[in-house]
Amino acid sequence: MPQIPLNLYVGLSAALFVVGAVGFLLRRNPITMLMAIELMWNAANLAFAAFARNFIDMSGQIFVFLVITVAAAEAAIALAIVVMVFRHRVNADVDDISVMRG
Amino acid sequence: MALAPLILFLPLLGAVVIALFGQFLQRTTCAIIGNISILLPFMLTTGLAIAVFRLPPEQQAVYAHPHAIGYWAHMPPLLTIPFRLLLDPLALLWMLIITGVGFLIHLYSVGYMAPERNYRQFFSYMNLFVFTMLLLVMTDNFLLLLIGWAGVGLASYLLIGFHYRRPAAVLAARKALIMNVIGDVGIMIAIFVMYVHYGSVSYEDVFGNVGAVSRSTLTWIGIWLLLGAVAKSAQLPLHTWLPDAMEGPTPVSALIHAATMVTAGVYLIARAHPIYDNAPLAAEIVAVVGGATALFAATIGCVQYDIKRVLAYSTMSQIGYMILAVGVGAYAAGAFHFMTHAFFKALLFLSAGIVIHALSGEQDIRKMGGLAVRLPFAYWTFLIGTVAIAGIFPFSGFFSKDAVLEQVLAHRHVWLYWFAVAAAGLTAFYMFRLLFLTFFSGAYRGEQKVHTHTDSTMTVPVGILAVLSVVGGWLVLPNHDELSIALRSSFVGTPYPQSMAEFNGSLSLEVLVIAAGGIALAWLAYQIAPKITLSANAALAPIHKFVYNAYYVDVLYHWLFEWPVYALAGACARFFEPVAIGALPRLATGIATRFARLSTSWENGYLRRYGLTFVAAAALLLILYLYLVRGAFAGAVQ
Repeated sequence: MPQIPLNLYVGLSAALFVVGAVGFLLRRNPITMLMAIELMWNAANLAFAAFARNFIDMSGQIFVFLVITVAAAEAAIALAIVVMVFRHRVNADVDDISVMRG
Repeated sequence: MALAPLILFLPLLGAVVIALFGQFLQRTTCAIIGNISILLPFMLTTGLAIAVFRLPPEQQAVYAHPHAIGYWAHMPPLLTIPFRLLLDPLALLWMLIITGVGFLIHLYSVGYMAPERNYRQFFSYMNLFVFTMLLLVMTDNFLLLLIGWAGVGLASYLLIGFHYRRPAAVLAARKALIMNVIGDVGIMIAIFVMYVHYGSVSYEDVFGNVGAVSRSTLTWIGIWLLLGAVAKSAQLPLHTWLPDAMEGPTPVSALIHAATMVTAGVYLIARAHPIYDNAPLAAEIVAVVGGATALFAATIGCVQYDIKRVLAYSTMSQIGYMILAVGVGAYAAGAFHFMTHAFFKALLFLSAGIVIHALSGEQDIRKMGGLAVRLPFAYWTFLIGTVAIAGIFPFSGFFSKDAVLEQVLAHRHVWLYWFAVAAAGLTAFYMFRLLFLTFFSGAYRGEQKVHTHTDSTMTVPVGILAVLSVVGGWLVLPNHDELSIALRSSFVGTPYPQSMAEFNGSLSLEVLVIAAGGIALAWLAYQIAPKITLSANAALAPIHKFVYNAYYVDVLYHWLFEWPVYALAGACARFFEPVAIGALPRLATGIATRFARLSTSWENGYLRRYGLTFVAAAALLLILYLYLVRGAFAGAVQ
């Protein structure tokens, strides 16, 4: 079975990251933005896993588990914030909650 | 003698105790403390005076302690100012009046000030005044005299502004303080000149070596001291604060602005007599200022309608007599007039206070009239005071005014003599005008209800002062001159004769006739034909208005002194400050603000802006990494 070359994994990872980053920057719906963030996390995870396999080094895979944990925590907090914003405002547009600008 | 410091410090103790603990004490307790701390010094002063006057004259310049109680300044080669109390007859006369009349007025205040909110504070201020005034007369050097001098100014400021919720009172207090400080500066300069020429500021050293400096220097010292006396004694041209000072409570007007503080100028010149004896030009200026003020103030007194303002102008006029007396060298006569004036002017103010009190604060004599029946006690006492100040035989004012006039003529100041005689006629006129308009001239014209009850704490002091106003002049009778003998040791070395024993019958008769003429004129104008007076007033309206407004001196000062300062300050605020002072800080804040705006404008609160920052920063870091680390690595490979 011919191995899928590393470059393809890294290319897919980069593409996913760019999609996530652009989505985060362009969309205004907080839920969509969270999904975009999730996409970026997973792009990073893919890169970790691919490199780990390529170099036969398990630490990359361990990082993937760590990232999944942190991402879950982040999603929980972010969703809680989004719910609170929904309660106070009718539509959820992140541009409306700019009162805490520095 | 050892008790002399008690005389000085008991009033201070009273002031401090009431000021610090007054709020925890009953109102009556405070009043009692305030009174006791003046009564005890009065009793001590009386004892001391008896002891000193029994000594032979050459020993009468008594120091309370042979050595200094302490040192005000102790820098031996340069300057040493011991704290010593000098108890010579001149100081004792003033001390007797300050504590004696002061006590009577304190007693009067117990009843008069009863409705006031700051009753306790009042006694504290009054005691402070007595302390500073005693310091002024008891000290043996010019520096402590200046401290007392400024202290009485402070007490006067506090008491004029006693009704601090009334803007007029606050303005009057400020005016009095500012004009008095002008005088303080005069004395300060005199002290500097004395120190330069004598190396000391004590009376002993300065007066002992008075001939050691040139006459022009002495003249300058005399003129600078006169500036202080003019400001404190409300003489021309620094007189405008005294009528306004009538905003203070009536006992204050009686004690500070009639009986004691305003006579400090007379004391100063009498005390500094060796300087004036040797500087005839300065003495001449003193006499002219006094004579001019006596007449000037008397004319204004003739047209005022406020009972206290009439008395204020009469005070100015009478102090003009005293200054005139000490200016021509009649020091004992000046002191004599000070004493009788303290009695009858305090009496006049206090019985006017009874009237004001009975009318719930009304002071306008156009709203009085016919009060002789309703307030007989006030009427009789006011009558005694009026007769005394008008100089009618045998009341006290007759003797002292006579002594002054006689000496003025004896020292050949003929013009000033006629000034003073004219002022005497005017005094009789305006005082009887005041008496008629207040107590007679038809029925009562005011709207206020007349409260006929008067507290005994008010009537007793007034009664005592009435008696003193009658008998006070009998210290000096023809061929029987007690006062100038008693004061002799204070005026050693003066070339002018001080004795008031000779009696110039024709002169006395002349003055009596002129005073009687003034009384008759007042009687005609306000009792017999008030309608003619009214139409005469209307016919002479411009002149009447001119004199009523005190010759517009206040307005003149406003345009001469206040207006330029306001104009300068306004111009500075509008043009100078924004440009010269404001520009640099404004530039600095402008730059900082612009910069801060620029950097904060990036943080607009939009989430995507932060996201973009993130991404851009990450990209930047990546580029940096690739360029620096990889580039360096590549270089190492080559």
